[in-house]
Amino acid sequence: MSATTDTEGGRTIPLYWPVQANRNAGLGGLFVVVLLFAIAYGVLFPGLFTLSGFSKFTQSWFPLALVAMAQALLMLTGGISLAIGATVSLGAVIAATTMSGPLGVAGGSVVVALAGLGFGAATGLIVVKLRLPAIVVTLAGSFIVGGAALLILPRPGGAVPGWLSDLLAGNTPTAFVLLLAVALLWKLYLATPLGLGLYAAGDNPVGAYRSGVPVDAARIAAYAISGLLSTGAGLFVAAQTGSGDPVIGTAFTLNSIAAAVLGGIGFLGGQGTMRGAIAGSLLLSLMISVMFFLGFTPVAQYVAQGLIIIGAVALPQLRRLKR
Amino acid sequence: MSAAGSVMPRVSAILRSRPFLTVAVVAAVWIVAGVTMRGFGAFGHLRYLVELAAVIGLVAAGQTFVVVAGGIDLSVAAIVTVSAVALPLLSLPGDPTGMSAVLATLALSTAIGLANGLGVAFLRVHPMIMTLAMATFLQGLLILIAGGTAISLDNPLVTWLGNARPAGIPVGILLWLAISAAVLVVMHATAFGARIFALGANPLAAALSGVPVNATTIAVYGISGFTAGLAGVLVLGMNGQGYVGIGDPYLLASIAAVVLGGTSILGGLGTYAGTMPGALLLVTITALITVVNASPGWRSILFGSLILGLLLLSGRESARR
Repeated sequence: MSATTDTEGGRTIPLYWPVQANRNAGLGGLFVVVLLFAIAYGVLFPGLFTLSGFSKFTQSWFPLALVAMAQALLMLTGGISLAIGATVSLGAVIAATTMSGPLGVAGGSVVVALAGLGFGAATGLIVVKLRLPAIVVTLAGSFIVGGAALLILPRPGGAVPGWLSDLLAGNTPTAFVLLLAVALLWKLYLATPLGLGLYAAGDNPVGAYRSGVPVDAARIAAYAISGLLSTGAGLFVAAQTGSGDPVIGTAFTLNSIAAAVLGGIGFLGGQGTMRGAIAGSLLLSLMISVMFFLGFTPVAQYVAQGLIIIGAVALPQLRRLKR
Repeated sequence: MSAAGSVMPRVSAILRSRPFLTVAVVAAVWIVAGVTMRGFGAFGHLRYLVELAAVIGLVAAGQTFVVVAGGIDLSVAAIVTVSAVALPLLSLPGDPTGMSAVLATLALSTAIGLANGLGVAFLRVHPMIMTLAMATFLQGLLILIAGGTAISLDNPLVTWLGNARPAGIPVGILLWLAISAAVLVVMHATAFGARIFALGANPLAAALSGVPVNATTIAVYGISGFTAGLAGVLVLGMNGQGYVGIGDPYLLASIAAVVLGGTSILGGLGTYAGTMPGALLLVTITALITVVNASPGWRSILFGSLILGLLLLSGRESARR
């Protein structure tokens, strides 16, 4: 399951790459499609290869990548969240109301992180300990979180310090560096007991439990981290727009699921990889950019997006059926 | 002796069943609110609540079919909107009753549902993705058809459906009762109903036992499209005009009604007899929250918390998957 499963006699290095190759299996098609879209985007918009063009693109991709990871994390444990969008909004309004106040950027970031972890952990506790279906709990949770966002900031407003906006959403690829850092942290997390338990808890909860995996703790931790990633995405969106909006995250719920599924994450838990989910979010974000540059009307964008998502999900399934 | 012996366990089984529990909760809330709040228990107010519940109940009827069959339909809100917006545009000039427009709208919404079913059955797309993608697709279509404007209604049949009250009972409620009776019969007294439960409980076992899995799947999504379309027609009649976003509240409401009524979101277990009081419960909660006169943020928090609390009563998954 993980690169660290066989470390006897210093054989970690020889085993590492085959394991990684194995994880890439089944994602080849996705990577090719992502590459094709990236080439199309580069042709349509040659500015992509300048530093500022690259920065701008990664900035439009970054929040989607974060929520795709947040969703994928839950789907790997066999859960799902329909509250991602509301949580993104909550992160955005907290950032916009605290950062320009006495707490400052550092204090505001801590509050954003705590809110995400806290809400995520609470959702996880309810789903795991009370054994309620995740889809309904998070649907109800989206109302609670969305309501909290409305209480904090009833209408768009607030402010994020200008230097933070420049740092995160200016002409430097800070977002890309942050994404690499998050991906690296994910690799480290997978090496911890809770991270190892993640796949096991999703794939076969009863078997994992009997083998001594802390199933409940792994799932609750997944919800908490997912909340943290979502409010983090909200903070970034607030920095991008320079202010807060209590409903700005709404579209992220749908897009996070679409990105995760495009990336090969299964609904039943234990199937898929985080690199797939990130590639899925990249594809979705490239798709939107390419359609924008091709001059698609919003109508055609919706229609094309719907068709492409269905096609991308259906094709591998049909291929598997033929075999 | 033997008669009493067979009746008593049956009565106690009914008393402990999820649908009865939900009815009891609704009744308790109505009685408490009726005693403590002015005007809540008035006949006109309760009738209005049931009328609102009828729309949720119709959408939730199709949703119940889909959920019992092991799927989920996240496109119902979009279908409600499509039918409410498309109906005024589908009216033929030579039809004074407006019947043809209603039939065309229902055919359209059923076709959308069937398309969902085809995707789930033959393309093997997960229901959540298929119906979400369909909702995205329809959203684009709606902007194309309606843009940002409201389309006003000029259809005698639909106006009658939304406003007439033979013997003091709104037609919408009568329509809901009729559809409910049909749904309960189809679900619990036909081979098709038995196949839906089999499919939801274990698709592989159902297929091996001779259940036509693809046809059944397509049919349940078709039914969901039909009832969502019917709800769209009713809500259009009640509102007098259709606009983009008119159906938005019904996605969460339909799923919540199904789950509050004791149907397992994992499929294979449940009944529409629970969904009906579930719909009433939702409308009642919303009405109570409106009475509290809180800000939109608090209202949203209250609504979410109450649904969560009610889930604890009725929505527990009995065993670890």
